[in-house]
Amino acid sequence: MIKTNSLTKIYGDKTALSIDQLEIPTGQSFGLVGNNGAGKTTFFSLLLDLIKASSGEIISNKIAVAISEEWKNFTSAFIDDSFLIGYLTPEEYFYFVGSLRGIDQKEIDLFLEAYADFFNDEILNQKKYLRDFSKGNQKKVGLVATFIGKPKVIILDEPFANLDPTTQIKLKQLIHKKSEDKELTLLISSHDLNHLTEVCNRIVLLEKGSVIMDKETTAKTLQELEDYFSA
Amino acid sequence: MSSSLFQLGRKKFLRAPQLEAKFTIKILMGLVILYFAGSFLFAGVVIYPALSKKFLEQDAISIINSFLVLIFAFELIIRYFLQQLPVTEIKSFLLLSIPKKRIIRNVLLRSLITIYNVIPFLLYLPISIAMFNDDYLLSQVFAWWVSLALLSLSINFITILVNKNNKVLATFVLVFIFVYVVEYYSETEILRSTGHFFDSLLAHPILVLLPASIFLGLYFITFKFLKININLEGSLVAKTGVANAERYNFLNVFRPHALFLKNDLRLIVRNIRPRNIVLASFLFLFYGLAFFPSIEYQSAFFIPFASIFITGGFLLTFGNYVPAWDSEYYPFLMCQNLSYKQYLDSKWRLMTFAVLVSTVLSIPYIYFGVDIYLMILSGAFFNIGLGTWITLYGGLLNKQPLKLNVKAKAFENTQAFSGKQFLMILPKMILPVLLYLIPAQVFNSTVGLITLASSGILGIIFKNQILNQMVKLFVKEKHQTLQAFTQK
Repeated sequence: MIKTNSLTKIYGDKTALSIDQLEIPTGQSFGLVGNNGAGKTTFFSLLLDLIKASSGEIISNKIAVAISEEWKNFTSAFIDDSFLIGYLTPEEYFYFVGSLRGIDQKEIDLFLEAYADFFNDEILNQKKYLRDFSKGNQKKVGLVATFIGKPKVIILDEPFANLDPTTQIKLKQLIHKKSEDKELTLLISSHDLNHLTEVCNRIVLLEKGSVIMDKETTAKTLQELEDYFSA
Repeated sequence: MSSSLFQLGRKKFLRAPQLEAKFTIKILMGLVILYFAGSFLFAGVVIYPALSKKFLEQDAISIINSFLVLIFAFELIIRYFLQQLPVTEIKSFLLLSIPKKRIIRNVLLRSLITIYNVIPFLLYLPISIAMFNDDYLLSQVFAWWVSLALLSLSINFITILVNKNNKVLATFVLVFIFVYVVEYYSETEILRSTGHFFDSLLAHPILVLLPASIFLGLYFITFKFLKININLEGSLVAKTGVANAERYNFLNVFRPHALFLKNDLRLIVRNIRPRNIVLASFLFLFYGLAFFPSIEYQSAFFIPFASIFITGGFLLTFGNYVPAWDSEYYPFLMCQNLSYKQYLDSKWRLMTFAVLVSTVLSIPYIYFGVDIYLMILSGAFFNIGLGTWITLYGGLLNKQPLKLNVKAKAFENTQAFSGKQFLMILPKMILPVLLYLIPAQVFNSTVGLITLASSGILGIIFKNQILNQMVKLFVKEKHQTLQAFTQK
């Protein structure tokens, strides 16, 4: 689904990202770990053409991301709170995203019913603007919005951060369920090794912009990661 | 303790990211401040001798006195829109062991140190000196100047008290305009009678106690107001009001642009900064009142100039910040499957709509003559056809993000203002004047009007082509804009 060739991003004389070759097959749940500054968000930003690569290219579903904008048809993402429109209510935000992806309000209402449990009665019909919600609840809105319109690629940066324990567990179940869809490619970054090894079938470890480890998730992966980070 | 609070304020100023803004902008802002300071000073120095010479039978100072109320009203409006209370950093002090009283006193004192509070020195002090040279007693001059300074500072506190309350301001402006118009056309004295107070101030300097008590009274009221509200739930912290669930379905007729138009409408209604800008652009409608009534200004230059502003208020104030209005969630927009063309087109439609509304609202200007209204009309054509694009072009080059739900800071606020943009303002002002003036001088004013209007019509005819160029620029600037907008 996604292929990168000799991808680099250089700021001044600092290399933020340098990945020789990476291929993410369709249907994979791809987990990205690494300490702060390892290049996780840089990688995601490149995938979304939010920044320009210093060299190399990204091909998503046969489309060169930096050249055509066609990838937007099948890609959705939640990187940070700049992906929310603060002065809208959650409903209006969902409708807005829906209409950008060609889905009308009734379908959105139907779609949202499936997430009633995940929302825990804290999101819909609150008569509040998104900017007035807590960080955790804002994140719930942003995450659910990425599922609108059956995208083929979903990119989530730190989806577990700021969520309460109950919601973290619900999110894990949700991601599990989503990853059963063999057409959907999921890219997730996290600092929570437990969660990530549970929901992803492949883990890539970044350090200072380079890939240090790239493995299918097995029973041993969590231990290996913990060993690496405590060393 | 108090001095360390002041030091924090100073550090906040010196270390603000704005201070690192481009050098040219700093110079530009410096020039703007110098210009205004210079104008005030010039007015202060010149007005008294000029009036004495012109009106021999009247007291120059009593003419000035009768206008003071206008100056104060103007000052209040300007301060309301631009002056920011130094309260933002209060939050972090609440938990430290500093007495609340001291924090509030510090906030109030610091609120007095703003650029606006030099007006008494620049404008009124030279007048006072001229009065002193003109045989007024020191006590009289002193009472007069001190009263004006105190009233100006009182306005400072009033600004704090009405903080963020648009209804109070709107009521004030409407009442004021109503009274002013009534006074102007019925030759009664309502506002001007306030001048008598300042006259009697000269006769009885002891009356200075009145402004002094107003000042002190307002100080204590503001002090109390802040004391009650200085907690995390008080009015100093942004309130979380009940969301307005208006769906604006009437906009659906504008499909496929309805989506963006609805969002822009919500943007304006639900955020402090855009709301203030739209209110301010409403005031542009009255711009003509400053020019058209007086004969001296009925010159060939000022009429087209004023006419462009009457219908172009919203256009200038809103268009300059497209797409910066969306800067808070720009990465989101750039990841969505949206048509840039539709996005820009809907912004164009919004501006066009505003011009049309202003054109209708400015019909009363026919009072000053059909010629003037025709001028406004051809100005409106220019605004729709070319003004919109020139403004949008400037907006697209703007690389400064905007905080939506925060008041603008005057002069300190170089955000969303760049040298390039400043250059873009020039054609917006000069081009229409030239388009009218040159043919009007060579042939006659009718040809001038037709040229101005047809330049706008050309812009409407070639809208699609221009829009395509705008989209190209939009795409070209995408990464740079993203980078600038996401920098915190």
